[in-house]
Amino acid sequence: MSARDPSIAVKDLTKIYDPSPTWMKLLVRSNVTSSVVALDGINFEVGPGEICAVVGPNGAGKTTTFRILLGLTTPTSGTATVTGYDAQHESVAVRRMVGWMPGQDVSLLMRLTCTENLRFHGRLQGLKGPDLKARIADALAKVGLAHAAEYSVFALSSGMRARLQLARALVHSPKVLILDEPTGAIDPVAAHELLGLIISIVEEERLACMISSHRLEEIEALHSHVVLLDKGRIRYDGDLDELRTIADRQQLDIRFATNEGARQARKLIEASGLGESVSVEDAMVTTVLSSSDTTVGDVLAALESVVPEVVHLQEVQRPLRDVLADMYREDQQS
Amino acid sequence: MSADTKDRSKARGRRRKRRSANRPTPSIAVAFLRMDIIEDISYPMSLVLSELGTVLPILVSFFIGELVGSTVATGNDYFTFAVLGLAVTAVLQGALGGFGGSLQRALNRGTLETLLVEPVPWTFLPFAMNLWRIMMGVLEGGLILALGAVLGADYNLSGAGAFLVLLLLGVLANTAIGIISAAILVLSKRSKPFLTLYGMAASLLAGSVFGVSQLPDWLQTLSWAIPHTYVINASRAVLMDDPGSFVIPFDTAVLALAIFNVVVMTLGLWLFSRSLEYGRKMGMLSGY
Repeated sequence: MSARDPSIAVKDLTKIYDPSPTWMKLLVRSNVTSSVVALDGINFEVGPGEICAVVGPNGAGKTTTFRILLGLTTPTSGTATVTGYDAQHESVAVRRMVGWMPGQDVSLLMRLTCTENLRFHGRLQGLKGPDLKARIADALAKVGLAHAAEYSVFALSSGMRARLQLARALVHSPKVLILDEPTGAIDPVAAHELLGLIISIVEEERLACMISSHRLEEIEALHSHVVLLDKGRIRYDGDLDELRTIADRQQLDIRFATNEGARQARKLIEASGLGESVSVEDAMVTTVLSSSDTTVGDVLAALESVVPEVVHLQEVQRPLRDVLADMYREDQQS
Repeated sequence: MSADTKDRSKARGRRRKRRSANRPTPSIAVAFLRMDIIEDISYPMSLVLSELGTVLPILVSFFIGELVGSTVATGNDYFTFAVLGLAVTAVLQGALGGFGGSLQRALNRGTLETLLVEPVPWTFLPFAMNLWRIMMGVLEGGLILALGAVLGADYNLSGAGAFLVLLLLGVLANTAIGIISAAILVLSKRSKPFLTLYGMAASLLAGSVFGVSQLPDWLQTLSWAIPHTYVINASRAVLMDDPGSFVIPFDTAVLALAIFNVVVMTLGLWLFSRSLEYGRKMGMLSGY
């Protein structure tokens, strides 16, 4: 693999979960009665030093993508390679290259200390002796847990457990990090710190990193490559800021001198078709512009006689979740 | 260096790397052993009481021995006869349920996925995850034999070497059956019913506390299919002067257990790896 090759490459990846055959129902009952398309021919690449955020509603295919990359599930068709190794047929080699951080902290061994958890994982990764000892100390220092090296995991806070999971993912010096909702169980402040840590480690060590999260404000803070999944398909694959220019529409907050002025403005905006979801509250009109081509000037022109009543006007960048919700809604309507 | 040579050396390097990734090492076994020990000794009272629970049935055998004295089926020393049956059963039960139990615990706690994404060949897990339970079984068996000796059991120590060979083969045979139960667990998410049923059947058919000759003929026929029967009864043959009427010679037991190990271990590993592959395909490796 050359330096220019992607660390993770997914090509035409499809995964269809079939219902269990009848004989399996004797062993364990299942509610799945028809085939479920979890991934439908997706393609993307992640390079060294790049963070790729995988975003999508429940059932979009995020976990399936991660599980295929980790060798826990096989694709129905297509390929997924990690540092050049095929995730389906060379999964043991892939697992050496990947540091995985699952969303649940129960994946840690609760009765063991931080050091013992990392030692166990390191040994399974083939490390031993002074090298293992040095890497454990290094990984704990990186995540700020050096002082807690001999604490039992059950005594750690959720934030510290998340850091320990990150240390476990790093101890064998992987080339790729796969982080499945790493901030799912921790408070926003700890989440912010953890993400900062992840960003700096990815940059320093030139790791390819895939991260999923339901907290879209966190994804926004990453300013990263985004793969937007929906029903097993990629809705968007590219730069997050670029996504805003394509999909986002401005929100306008216009304050009027009187309630009457605001009510009139609402009627005019609705009649012009320039704004959607127009609402009025305490002489303030809030609307989302109908298209990305619509300008503030267009709206002011449509307000005609009530323009003199405008006392304040503000363009507001909408939260990412609203942008994505619009995209999903449009997709459903189409 | 030509591009061709470079490619070939790159491919060789990659093959070497892949091979080393696949090689199970003692260090990996030690890692599992250490983890299990730390987990178990974290709950000292539970550990001690569960060991006592395994060892104390010997007292029941002691008083039954006082009651029955000698019989044709059990020889002239029922207590030694029963102590050997209980000790061997304790060792074999450790090997039988260890892997399935560890796998079930990992599944319930949510640590199974993290184990499966380690670069350890999955077929090595049954051995690594079973080590501690086997050692505990050996400890329990040893305690039963020691307590038995204190209470008057009489062993012919010249057969100790042969006894250890039988135990080793028995442990392997039960590990193989445990692997089959783990294969079922991967798909059904439960293996306890299988192991409980098999464990009970094995104790009954192998005559751990009574002579196999006391069983009806049709059950005696089934006894021959259970490795417990060979280990327990051949152990009595090598460690007791009068092992009763149902005797399996050492050579016969070794041969039968060796054949059983080759066939069932191969089958167990194949089934385990097939069920993991099937679980991978169906996306149900770590489901509940």
